[in-house]
Amino acid sequence: METQLDLTKLSENDKKELNQVLNNEAQKGNIQQTVHHLNEVCWQKCITSKITSGTLDKSEEACAQNCVDRWMDTSLSILQKLENMRGH
Amino acid sequence: MSSLFGSAPSAAPQTSEEIKAAVVRQLQTEAAMSNARSLIGKVNKHCFQACVPTPGTSLSAKENTCLSSCMEKYIAMWNVTSRTYITRVGTETKRLGGQDAAAIASMATGQPEGGSGILG
Repeated sequence: METQLDLTKLSENDKKELNQVLNNEAQKGNIQQTVHHLNEVCWQKCITSKITSGTLDKSEEACAQNCVDRWMDTSLSILQKLENMRGH
Repeated sequence: MSSLFGSAPSAAPQTSEEIKAAVVRQLQTEAAMSNARSLIGKVNKHCFQACVPTPGTSLSAKENTCLSSCMEKYIAMWNVTSRTYITRVGTETKRLGGQDAAAIASMATGQPEGGSGILG
């Protein structure tokens, strides 16, 4: 894994392909970071009782789903409000 | 892809194809490491909070059991969060007329099995 890679030997085509892979990985990383953040927020809101099992019960799962969706609503609503402010 | 090449003895990559494969492999390994590091940090933080309210001279059996459950639960919830978030982003993208569709598509495929299974 530590071998020095000679990137100058890459063909134009492979460079393009690598660029694509890089962009995809970056995007994936961003999404994963968002999910980490969201999961933390929703964990605090939804897991309020003593932890007795390693699985989510029905109400916890429903809470987690609502939490994510309402967070998205909030995010979109704020964007909308900002957009309106900018229009005036 | 990494499993395909994972155990092969690695001579220094020479051709463009080999170099590309090596870069991709390294990229994915580092991404996976970074994701795992984030997860471990969060699990540590929240499960310590939930399971070890008053730290004693060592972890009790009860605390250890709680930590195991907590970790599994945190990961279970991560998968629900991931699935819900990705589904919602997909819906919103469609609603906004498919701008960024390629980006969203790459998100959806980026997650193994539609967003379930953080550990691969």
